[in-house]
Amino acid sequence: MAPPAIEFKSVSKWFGTHQVLTDIDLAIAPGEVVVVCGPSGSGKSTLIRCVNGLEPFQRGDLVVLGESIGRPGVSMSALRTRVGMVFQSFNLFPHMTVLENITLAPVRVRGLSAAEAEKTARTLLERVRIPDKAENYPANLSGGQQQRVAIARALAMQPKIMLFDEPTSALDPEMINEVLDVMTDLAKEGMTMMVVTHEMGFARRVAHRVVFMDAGRVVEEATPEVFFAAAKSDRAKDFLSKILSH
Amino acid sequence: MNYQFNWSVLWSGQSGGWLLHGLLLTLAISVLAWVLAAVLGIVSGAMRTVPWKPLRVIATFYVEFFRNVPLLVWMFFWYFGVPPLLPRVVQDWLFNHSAEFWAGMFALGVYHGARMSEIIRAGILSIPRTQFEAAVAMGLTTFQVYRLIIVPIALRLIVPPATNDSLNLLKNSSVALTISVAELTFQARQVETYTAKAIEALTAGTVIYLVLCLGIAAIMTRVERRFAIPGLIARGG
Amino acid sequence: MKRILAVVVALAVALSLTPPVGAQQDTMAKIKESGVLTIGTRTGSPPFAYINKDNQWVGFSIDLVEQLVKPAVEKEVGRAVKVEKKESTPPTRIPLLSANSVDLIAGTMTDTPQRREVVDFSLTFFYTGAQFLVKKGSPIKGVNDIAGKRIASQQASTNAKIIRERYPQAQLREFPDQPAAFQALLQGQVDAFTNDGIQLAGLKAKAPNPAEWEIVGDFYSEEPYGMAMRKGDARLKAAVDGGLKNGFESGKYFEIYEKWFGPKGELPYPLTATVKAYLLKQIGK
Repeated sequence: MAPPAIEFKSVSKWFGTHQVLTDIDLAIAPGEVVVVCGPSGSGKSTLIRCVNGLEPFQRGDLVVLGESIGRPGVSMSALRTRVGMVFQSFNLFPHMTVLENITLAPVRVRGLSAAEAEKTARTLLERVRIPDKAENYPANLSGGQQQRVAIARALAMQPKIMLFDEPTSALDPEMINEVLDVMTDLAKEGMTMMVVTHEMGFARRVAHRVVFMDAGRVVEEATPEVFFAAAKSDRAKDFLSKILSH
Repeated sequence: MNYQFNWSVLWSGQSGGWLLHGLLLTLAISVLAWVLAAVLGIVSGAMRTVPWKPLRVIATFYVEFFRNVPLLVWMFFWYFGVPPLLPRVVQDWLFNHSAEFWAGMFALGVYHGARMSEIIRAGILSIPRTQFEAAVAMGLTTFQVYRLIIVPIALRLIVPPATNDSLNLLKNSSVALTISVAELTFQARQVETYTAKAIEALTAGTVIYLVLCLGIAAIMTRVERRFAIPGLIARGG
Repeated sequence: MKRILAVVVALAVALSLTPPVGAQQDTMAKIKESGVLTIGTRTGSPPFAYINKDNQWVGFSIDLVEQLVKPAVEKEVGRAVKVEKKESTPPTRIPLLSANSVDLIAGTMTDTPQRREVVDFSLTFFYTGAQFLVKKGSPIKGVNDIAGKRIASQQASTNAKIIRERYPQAQLREFPDQPAAFQALLQGQVDAFTNDGIQLAGLKAKAPNPAEWEIVGDFYSEEPYGMAMRKGDARLKAAVDGGLKNGFESGKYFEIYEKWFGPKGELPYPLTATVKAYLLKQIGK
């Protein structure tokens, strides 16, 4: 069996004296799609942000694509080129066109020529189904379109892992599916994905595994079938009853 | 006793030439000082927001030190305080090559750099932190993030307050007359001394400053329109 | 701008306060009635007029008024007169005079043709002119040696004007105030500082090491100091001139000069033969 793409080993993290992650042990295999869910404040966003070093942690070890994070000498910049991330608030650069947003990192970090980068960018825009928006500025796109550009931008670096931190939470309901569809395509293509989301339909259809967190701990992990049919812990049951009732 | 207006004093004799000379010197010192202020302001303003304390401390020290001492004192500092630190030969060369102009330019540029720094820092702080994270997450280095994302956005956001301070810089350039820079205000006084026509000389100076300020404001408005971020600045239209 | 502003304010004051023609009060009549001669003088121009360490308002110009002018005025009005002093600075002195706030300006005012259009001047009581303050041993010995040299002057002064017009080869550096210009000389930013000789003597005396500096050159401009009165104040002018004339004739003036400008005086500035001759020529001697 191939080594895990991401492996948390007893990771603990504190904000000041407040512990936000407690002894996290979690391994994600290459090509696996893991949905992380849990009530707000449970530490799920913090967890995912550890993977590309946006959050430092104080104890334990985290190995991403064979490299141990947080150890001196590990180049975070180099690692980040192989781990793409999509945020809740899109975070497109407002002063650049869609095309410029997507080609920025390939040109500046990977050293591609502008022409190559543009070619890739246009292909990616096809893939996220907005090829005609290349010259637009972010402000002229809908939320769903912006988030799809954000996904294309992350993919432009040809990452091995994609992190999604509540990618649909800031979207109007009618735009959620267009983003989830793109993510579903990506999952089908075999991308290793770690997704923090409340979209349980997506979890059920696409995820290989669901990780339920509460109070900074991984409380339960199971296949979606098992998790949704027969969650073991009371906290997971309680969470599911609230989130599925509406 | 009625005051006899005589506007012809402004173009008869040497007055016109003096005022023109003063205008050119005011423009030269202001433009150079502005460039210096912009560079210092951008660098130190960005440094004050980076996640590395020593840089923040250095930049904060620069800003507080230069911003909280009157410009007049800085004029004297650069003109009287700095040359003695240089070798005698260099001093003599400087004194024969417009030392007062360069001292005035540095005083003005470094002083306004500190003020510009505050404006730029405020601009950077108004950019959501997640923009920085998004850029870092793509593998850009901190320096690249500042150069390609943070500073370009901040500069677009701060055009109005920066315009304001640029106008202040222009007006403050008149303080350089204290160290014998013969700029516009100096020349207006000169006209007054020679012609004893205070109101005419004063008016000429005022009108020239006014035209310069309006010109700068107009240019900055165009710059603001040209570089407006779609959707972020409504009046960018 | 401060100077321009001062002029504008002065103009405004002058405009509003100049009494209509014909309504002018006779100053001597007023003095006869009140027994007070009000003079406008300086508080910070030693040794002409200043407040000394013991908080007394004294000086050469004040002594001239007290010892020469006052007796002449008393004789004219036929009663004892008290001299009252008010602060008057260059921008305020003419307006103060026009507004009848003071009757006589006795400080450091130069008698110029332009000012004569507005006020009347007494006989000249002090005579100085533009010279150069230089480091001892400087190649500058006078106004003919300044080509290519860096010369500091006080902005808007007559000296600066003369140098700009007649000696354009000099590199003129004009400073708005005397301390800055003097500092530039001390540090070598300029080669010489030109100003009225008496002012330079004052600066030299205050320099960290006075022996290092010297005042050089003949007067290349004339700065006769006079006392100023309202225009047409003939009786007062007669009394003031009479008092000064008496002083020149009796030698009393030269005693007072010695007290302030002699070797042991507040500011040594010896009376040259030329100057003495100039002063005496005024009374026909």
